[in-house]
Amino acid sequence: MKNDANVKLSVPARPEFVDLVRLTLYGIAAKMNFSYEEIEDMKVAVSEACNNAVLHAYGGEENGGSVDVRFDILGEDELRITVSDSGESFVPSGDLQSSNLLGKSIEEIQSGGLGLYLMQALMDSVEVRTQQGTAVVMSKRREAAGKASV
Amino acid sequence: MQTDKLTFRTENLDGTTVVHIAGELDLEVASQMRATMEPLMELGDRKLVLNLRDLKYIDSTGIGILIGILKARHAKQAPFAVEEVPATIRKLFDMTGITPFLTAAESYSNGSPK
Repeated sequence: MKNDANVKLSVPARPEFVDLVRLTLYGIAAKMNFSYEEIEDMKVAVSEACNNAVLHAYGGEENGGSVDVRFDILGEDELRITVSDSGESFVPSGDLQSSNLLGKSIEEIQSGGLGLYLMQALMDSVEVRTQQGTAVVMSKRREAAGKASV
Repeated sequence: MQTDKLTFRTENLDGTTVVHIAGELDLEVASQMRATMEPLMELGDRKLVLNLRDLKYIDSTGIGILIGILKARHAKQAPFAVEEVPATIRKLFDMTGITPFLTAAESYSNGSPK
């Protein structure tokens, strides 16, 4: 795949459609020769972005709206994924680095913020745009071929 | 939409309840997971073990459920452990920082290390 290309997918903002986005991602990333481990990383990141849209964008209403996912294949090595909704903006609160559980006591730990934290940790870049809904733009570049994955 | 994306098999051994979780643990099946685990979490005199060998996928919702189980078991001073964590899932556990809690939880068990 030498030329830039894009694939668009629009799914209802409901939990049972998030795995459809994962399957699509898998197909595209495999076509681009991303490693198994890289694909697993992106699966989690894209799902977390979709989860946020499903949970926050349309007030949790069934049949509320849709989540639009755009996959941009940039050159031979980079995949940019944009997950957007047109619902209420989801503004991440607090410091993402403090969202993980490291160094905390069992009384202090909680799951809030883990999704965004994982996105940041698993992708090369993540940007959250909030205007007329939320758009999460994340990208990952394929590791140089030949580097053995575990 | 009904799916079999997450399945449970519960095994009652001497003093230990082992729940084998297979499939994908995500937002869609989170309530199913909570409903299955809640009665088992209450059994404070039994060791609770989650076997994750056939778990293919977990997201932050699933990790959030594990945090809930950890807290509930800790409050009861009841033993809880996970076992046979696949590498891809171990990586997420390490990244989020839940690993030390899962490891510490194993120390509640007296004897029979897994």
